[in-house]
Amino acid sequence: MNDDYIHIVLADDDEDDRLLFTEAFDELKITTKVNTYNDGVYLMDYLNGEDAIMPNVLFLDLNMPRKSGMECLKEIKANDKFKDMAIAIYSTSASEEDIENTFVQGANIYIKKPDNFKKLKKALSEVVTLNWQYHTNGLNKDNFLLRL
Amino acid sequence: MKLFIKFDFNAVCRQVLREKLDEIDVKYNILGFGEVDILENLSSEKYDELASALGNYNIEIVENQKSILVQKIKDAIIDMVFNEETNVNVKTSVYLADTLGHSYGYLSNLFSEVTYTSIENFIILQKIEYTKQLVIKGNLSLTEIAFKLNYSSVAHLSTQFKNTTGITPSAFKRIISKRREINL
Amino acid sequence: MQLKAIYKAPWFVKSIFVVCFFIIFFVAGVTYKSINDLSESSDLVEHKYEVVIELEQMFSYLKDVETGQRGFIITQDSIYLKPYFSGRENINNSFAELKELTRHNPEQQIFLKELNVLIDDRLANFEESQRFILKRYNDIESPSFSPIFREGKQLMDDIREKIKSMIALENKRLEARQRDHKDNLKVTPMFLYLVLLLSLLLMVGAYYKIMFDLEKLKKTNLKLEIFKESANQSEIVSKHGNWIWNIEEDIYSYSDNLYRLLGEEPQSFKATTDNLMKFVHPDDVEKLRGQIEKMMEEKNLPFIYYRIIQKNGNIKHFKAYGKTLVNNDGGRRLLGTTTDITDEIESFKALEERNLELERNNKELSAFNHVASHDLQEPLRKIQTFLSRLEDKEEENLSESGLVYMSRIKNAATRMRSLIDDLLQFSRTNKADKVFEVTNINLLLEAAKQDLAEVISEEKALITEETFPVINVIPFQIQQLFVNLIGNSLKYRAKHRIPEINIGYEQVLAENEPTIANAKQEAYHKITFKDNGIGFDNEYAERIFILFSRLHNKDEYSGTGIGLSICKKIVENHEGHIHACGAPNIGATFTVYLPVV
Repeated sequence: MNDDYIHIVLADDDEDDRLLFTEAFDELKITTKVNTYNDGVYLMDYLNGEDAIMPNVLFLDLNMPRKSGMECLKEIKANDKFKDMAIAIYSTSASEEDIENTFVQGANIYIKKPDNFKKLKKALSEVVTLNWQYHTNGLNKDNFLLRL
Repeated sequence: MKLFIKFDFNAVCRQVLREKLDEIDVKYNILGFGEVDILENLSSEKYDELASALGNYNIEIVENQKSILVQKIKDAIIDMVFNEETNVNVKTSVYLADTLGHSYGYLSNLFSEVTYTSIENFIILQKIEYTKQLVIKGNLSLTEIAFKLNYSSVAHLSTQFKNTTGITPSAFKRIISKRREINL
Repeated sequence: MQLKAIYKAPWFVKSIFVVCFFIIFFVAGVTYKSINDLSESSDLVEHKYEVVIELEQMFSYLKDVETGQRGFIITQDSIYLKPYFSGRENINNSFAELKELTRHNPEQQIFLKELNVLIDDRLANFEESQRFILKRYNDIESPSFSPIFREGKQLMDDIREKIKSMIALENKRLEARQRDHKDNLKVTPMFLYLVLLLSLLLMVGAYYKIMFDLEKLKKTNLKLEIFKESANQSEIVSKHGNWIWNIEEDIYSYSDNLYRLLGEEPQSFKATTDNLMKFVHPDDVEKLRGQIEKMMEEKNLPFIYYRIIQKNGNIKHFKAYGKTLVNNDGGRRLLGTTTDITDEIESFKALEERNLELERNNKELSAFNHVASHDLQEPLRKIQTFLSRLEDKEEENLSESGLVYMSRIKNAATRMRSLIDDLLQFSRTNKADKVFEVTNINLLLEAAKQDLAEVISEEKALITEETFPVINVIPFQIQQLFVNLIGNSLKYRAKHRIPEINIGYEQVLAENEPTIANAKQEAYHKITFKDNGIGFDNEYAERIFILFSRLHNKDEYSGTGIGLSICKKIVENHEGHIHACGAPNIGATFTVYLPVV
């Protein structure tokens, strides 16, 4: 993990959210590279591309046109190529049903989009730190569940 | 089909280390967690060869003394949490200072500086990871796990689990078992 | 009692008739016998006279012989000898006749033999004396004639004596016989009379019995008639019909109303399976036939459902049930009831439709909730996030009033957030999937406190609690209940006091708790939340649980008026009760009762 940066990818159809997301990472002290995609189809096109750099953490909005976050999640989990990638759900919904469902389908992290920029920054920082810890300390990633 | 495997991370690492060190044909002693004593001069070619061979396993050669010490702190903590024999009722700070021969303040600062997290958080993280393992195994009740990990009460463990992971131990167990149902 | 029982027994009349029959038979027998006896005795009399006459006849022949001989002796005229010669033959004939007549009487036979000897002697005596008479005309003067003649007289006397005794014997026999008959004839009529009297009595008894039974039968018939009528009425009212199927003989009988149910006049066609099948809905024929067959094999059958089509085209739904009864003599009969359940089915369908509609409404409602959770929250969240960006980055560039406006916008947004959150929570407690789990309540309380950790530490609130047992609850709802109640106490804390909340537990009996005296369950878990907050006037104790009802101005306290409604909803979901009581400026106590299962 002595790469130059942590690679972050976000798929979200909401422009405001993408903006806030990148701004939040910009303000964090961690060196990160953030790529955003407008929906699930764009995201999967990128991930399935040959020269794709696997992100360390992938953030998925659940409600997206064309291909929802849940569909992306299932697709990614079905492909061994992506097994090292931590997946964070990044959604407005706080329904217990949604949360448990995504965890069951293989998501590692569930973030309810916060209504405050500071909270957003804190949440994203926590995700990255914890993910890094899992990575560096050889913890069992199957047990990596985090809800923020 | 999916297999669920339990492994000893350290044993695996030792085995890999031994194989790779044998490959470059040098005399060595594996001292303990994260320390290898090379008993002869290592040529730079051999060093590179070893580094890249270990790199394939995500094992890196840490030269920085600070990193080494942090690794030792982590190992000591993991040992403390996971190993029942060393799981003594001494305060962690005292235990770490005694084991590593540095003041706790020094260790704490060093740890935060290198890992961006505190020793306390790291301990909690490890304890919760251990709890997760035990919960999944299902042999012990949460009360028994709390006792085993020196928590004052189930509620305390439960709260810490929730604070660390955002979900309750029972929800965690439910999610993992549902995942297995899907994958089997 | 026993007599009465015999009297009432069904075999009573029958046996009386049997007895009477035998009596009459007996009487006829007795009568026949006595008539027989009578004719026998007259025969006997006749017989006696014949014997007597014959004896006298014979004697008279003998006398004729004697007289003839004597006449000859006197007159020497041979004309007098004629009876003498014919007399012998007549005597023999008479004797043969007598022998025949007394054939059955050994006593008379002996007498007859003796008589025979005497007669033979007499006749020999005649011969001897005749020799004297014929040889010499005056030979009768000879000394040897006189003794012969005297002997003749002697023999004649003996014969007379013998005949006399024979007649006496006949008389004696007749007398004995007649004495017997007289006795018989004296007893028989009496006996017959008594027997006939007895049979008359029996007949009278039987008659009364028959009349009594007939009366009873009439009454029973009347009752039966009434019962049948009421059964008919009830069949019509409850829309069902009865049928009996004699399996062995394959004979059906349908009650009138069954015909009516089929839309036909009562008894207007022959009751058979095939005729019934003509009415059955084509789709159900196969099924019904199968079930009828099954019904024969198994004794009892669950309800059979099928449809029929009436002549006028109406489709009716029938429900039938049959039960096999086995007679004493092994004959099997299937008793069945068929009910027209068309109305039930229709109302059931209507109900189902209404349920579907309700379900649709519920779905719409939950879709609305989803919209509220997602689409309303999204812009609000952005407003809040960008506000926080503005606050962080541009605060120093804002004027004094700009800062005030911003804080007002922030407050409004926060309030909207809590409204949306609370509404969502409320609708979520309404949701159908309520999974009960046996849960450690202490853990739920701990989790609730964790949820409120920020406020608790901010207000330095003091929360004390007792130990709870495990209870069967919907865990997340109970946690929500705890959060809301503790949150409520913290929100309505008294300004100058450190908030204290005491959470108590005890298990109680409903009858000992005035507030839930009429509860369904006997025992309840009673959980009390007692605080030292601003309290409220008890007259509002009911109102505070109503949705959107608030006791305070929203500028003073930030409540949405939903929190306690959620509490009530949750407790109702658990079939429990919640009550509040308060005292202004002293505190409030919320009591939750959850049933002990």
